[in-house]
Amino acid sequence: MDASPRAPSRPGFDWFLTASVVAVVAVFVRAIFFMPVEARQGAAQKIFYIHVPSAFIGLYVAFGIVAIAGALYLWLRDDRLDRIAASAAEVGVIYMTVVLITGPLWGKPVWGTWWTWDARLTLTLFIWFVFVGYLILRGAVEDPGTRARYSAVLGVLGALLVPFIHLSVYLFRTLHPMPIILKPGQPSLPSNMLATFLMAVVALTMLFFALLRARYRLAVAMDAIGDNDASDATPVSTLRPEPVR
Amino acid sequence: MPDNAIFAYVAYVAAAVVYGAYVVSLVVRRRRVQERLDRQARPGAAPQR
Repeated sequence: MDASPRAPSRPGFDWFLTASVVAVVAVFVRAIFFMPVEARQGAAQKIFYIHVPSAFIGLYVAFGIVAIAGALYLWLRDDRLDRIAASAAEVGVIYMTVVLITGPLWGKPVWGTWWTWDARLTLTLFIWFVFVGYLILRGAVEDPGTRARYSAVLGVLGALLVPFIHLSVYLFRTLHPMPIILKPGQPSLPSNMLATFLMAVVALTMLFFALLRARYRLAVAMDAIGDNDASDATPVSTLRPEPVR
Repeated sequence: MPDNAIFAYVAYVAAAVVYGAYVVSLVVRRRRVQERLDRQARPGAAPQR
């Protein structure tokens, strides 16, 4: 289905994005300055309030949207689904970048090492590479239909790593902590820490959907001018010299 | 209690930089695209590609 974009609206002040950024900053300030320091891990435990929500949203929400939108694109061939998948993939990579930066910053003081090649960490790095590859693929294929089809397949296959990452702490021996929120039974957190954690989930989820909406609008505008992708990269074919006649 | 607050501060600053830089990149890319759209909309303007 050819869902040609309507004329994109002019970029204006984005209230949703602004409110989301304010909410995230407020949660960061609450976590750093107003939450108690955990007795055994020290202040490094506070990394939990950004690391876990970012991982939750990046893995389950962002890459879940990529997989669902990709699968629906392969069925319905609606260009809007391709734009949604591409936007969710880009924002998901940003969230997982934060996960991969903040995880080692927690691991060094608590584990005594920045990184260990156990299943949870390695699979998380792999899924980050898969979706970085997804974005590179989108920049490399010029034909919109081919690009959408290839990236939909890669998005669906890449998201298959998500359940393995979730179950990796149960299936393999690992240094990574077991879930304390997404587990059977009550979350094992004091109520004030749980409240701050849930605020962080809400704020970072708002930010995710604000970024997704902004990125989707950018994709609509890029399609309106017939550009390959929303990066500023010049397509390789345009760099080829003209044949000498 | 271990004194490791510096790791938490660095993590929060790094997260703020990554999220903030992405917001700025979206705003900048959107403005550039809008400028190209405006140029294309002018009467007699040649297409970009």
